[in-house]
Amino acid sequence: MNFELSEEQKMLKKSARDFLDNECPERLVRETEASDSSYSPELWKKAAELGWLGLVYPEKYGGSEMSILDMAILYEEMGRALFPSPHLSTVVLCGLTILHAGSEEQKANMLPKIVNGELILALALTEPEASWDGKGWVAEGITMPATSEGDDYCLSGTKLFVHDAHIADQILVAARTKKDKRAEEGITLFLVDAKSPGISYNPLRTTAGDNKQSEVAFNKVMVPKKNIVGKLHDGWAPLDKALKIGAVLLSAQMVGSGEKAMELAIDHAKTRVQFEMPIGIHNWVQEYCIMAFADVQGTRNLVYQAAWMLSQDMPCDLEVAMTKARANEAIVDAHWQAHQVLAGVGFTSQDGVLPLHTKRGKVCQLYLGDTDHHMEMIAQQAEKWPEPEKPEGKPLGIFDTAEDLQVPNWDVWRNQIKTKGKLW
Amino acid sequence: MEFGFTEEQEKLRKELHDFYANELPEDVSEVPAVSKELQDFWMGLQRKAGKKGYLTPGWSKETGGLGLGHLEVGVANEVEGYWGISWPNGIGLHICGPGLHLFGTEEQKKKFLPEISSGEKVWYECFTEPEAGTDEANQQTRAIKNGDKWVINGQKIYITGGYKPDFLYVEARTADTIPKHRGLTLFCFPADTPGVTVAALPCMGGYRANIFYLDNVTVGDDAIIGQINQGFYHVMATFEFERSNTTGAANAKRDLEELVQFCKETKRNGKPLIKDPEVRKAIAKMAIDIEVLRLAAWRTAWRFGERKRLGPLDFDLTGLFSRINGLTHPVIRMNILGMYGQLKIGSKYAKLRGSIERRWQVTRSYHYAGTMEAIKIVLAARVLGLPRIPAKLNPVIMKALQEKEKA
Repeated sequence: MNFELSEEQKMLKKSARDFLDNECPERLVRETEASDSSYSPELWKKAAELGWLGLVYPEKYGGSEMSILDMAILYEEMGRALFPSPHLSTVVLCGLTILHAGSEEQKANMLPKIVNGELILALALTEPEASWDGKGWVAEGITMPATSEGDDYCLSGTKLFVHDAHIADQILVAARTKKDKRAEEGITLFLVDAKSPGISYNPLRTTAGDNKQSEVAFNKVMVPKKNIVGKLHDGWAPLDKALKIGAVLLSAQMVGSGEKAMELAIDHAKTRVQFEMPIGIHNWVQEYCIMAFADVQGTRNLVYQAAWMLSQDMPCDLEVAMTKARANEAIVDAHWQAHQVLAGVGFTSQDGVLPLHTKRGKVCQLYLGDTDHHMEMIAQQAEKWPEPEKPEGKPLGIFDTAEDLQVPNWDVWRNQIKTKGKLW
Repeated sequence: MEFGFTEEQEKLRKELHDFYANELPEDVSEVPAVSKELQDFWMGLQRKAGKKGYLTPGWSKETGGLGLGHLEVGVANEVEGYWGISWPNGIGLHICGPGLHLFGTEEQKKKFLPEISSGEKVWYECFTEPEAGTDEANQQTRAIKNGDKWVINGQKIYITGGYKPDFLYVEARTADTIPKHRGLTLFCFPADTPGVTVAALPCMGGYRANIFYLDNVTVGDDAIIGQINQGFYHVMATFEFERSNTTGAANAKRDLEELVQFCKETKRNGKPLIKDPEVRKAIAKMAIDIEVLRLAAWRTAWRFGERKRLGPLDFDLTGLFSRINGLTHPVIRMNILGMYGQLKIGSKYAKLRGSIERRWQVTRSYHYAGTMEAIKIVLAARVLGLPRIPAKLNPVIMKALQEKEKA
């Protein structure tokens, strides 16, 4: 057990904080929110120069071979600054899937481009029906058919809530190539050129107020067989792994966002004066600040633990589900607490970052598994727990009679100590 | 960062786990030790564990421990928590012992520490008073120097414990100072010193607290622990030990495992309880809460190991999580049991040995080492740096104080 950040991690955290403080002010976040692209190409380029896009990739693809834990530390800072970028889609969800399952050619071709910031990818997974009953993030939800036609596969169907699709160069699509009893079997991943004939995009107006998410419709889109990532029918395993890493990193991002909201609340509580005293003097206001603080601190430990386990390649389905489920509730709660403290200053949309955090917090909560989804994952893990071990010592045999246990026998004790008659 | 355990730590965990698995009776039940048999059993186990040094793995070998680090102590605490062990001398092991370590004289250490680590003696901490609850420094018990003796008078309340104590660890006022926490001193003396009387205070959940009356209890200088008038600081330093353990989360984890097993075996409306969506959600929620608490507790244990000065962030956050869990989980678990939730231990129909019903009652006493509100006040002031109400600005406060003065 060790909770200390390494020197490298501390440096990464500090440099990320400094960079984002300077380069990613509230003004820029608002501008990109209003823009069609919902990201800033200049900032993306600078992030590439800092090495943020290749953080966990092997050196031969231009990466720096750091761990998922290091990336989680970076994501905390990105969440804090509301860094508008397709980082999660490109580098994590698609990039790591390609790294884990792609052919050598695909890797050599695409990963260096990702690292340089020249290639943006988007993951098309959730389907209209799937999003209703919590199947947006499980294999059962993938029903969009891909049929073999000569050297190509033909994709037809609709994918929803696709982040960064409208700015992507290529889209990683999970489609069904075979019907099997096991839902995990028969899913194949296709890299589809974003400009292929037959694809259409329709931006979704969401609570975040940006243009980040789209509906992507595939109308008989032809994809060459060489664009399959991983094995045919066997795309779920690598995708699932990337989704888990993504869920933990998204939780890290949310922790950073919750921490910022908490700091805003505490700062306001100390400086806002009403009735000739700072409002933070009132216990009710303090309560909001403390609960936000507990939300953030408690979730952060979970994030670090899950990220550490992912870095070590340990089985951690339970920990990942706990992390995202807790982040979903706690960070949205931290935002809510901050709103109670900031009150009138907190809800104006023209200025102040709290509304931005709150709105994005809601989007993050629903992305990569909402609370219900991850709670169900936890319950499935709990079902697999073995029967708790029973002690093996000789029975005392004194638990049979209820009377023995329910009537406290104080006399045992009383007689053992001399008293002066002041007994109960 | 590192969230795993070393091979040695896992070995220690296995060793302790097996030891307790062999020693604990199969019908062990988490009941308050109010019967002679149960008291004898737990005292016997305490002595057995003490002989092996398991009670105090963090103490040096000379004082009867195993000389292990804080993380290993955390592991040992987890095992104890998992088996639901609550030592008769828990206070001596976790508060008086560390206090003696930090502030006792060489003689006191030589005399008392081996007795504590071997599990022979039982200590009680007598800090809380009718007028000194959360406001620890408001001690009314007085120790007055008379020649070379100290004469102690006062009343201590909510002193938890059902076993016969051998020693009392008492905080008393030795000087009238402003601020009031600069005039307190710690004493320890045998519980059968003339002038000590006791009254039982049965509590919800069936365990026992006590009122101790101290009437002209006369002790010598050798009964003083640490420095005169420094008692409050000594107590604060030892309280940090009380709030830093990993026991609670391990205990809760075991409870959850048993509940999950129960839900797998029990059918309601023709299907296992565990297939009920509401039950699944409840189990998931508790699993998350327990994990959050476990990591917070381990962070504190790690901070001890690094010999960092502990801030309120560490132990108070653990305390906050353990209280939030402690107050909410028994209610959730009771709801899962439905009508059976109200049945007491020993009842023919009681589920899970009736432990949930008792735990539900015990949650009403989750105020030791500071109420939730006290913890929040400390967090607000010392961690978040929020302002505190100056009493003199508030007419209501001033009036209450004046009326109390008159009375």
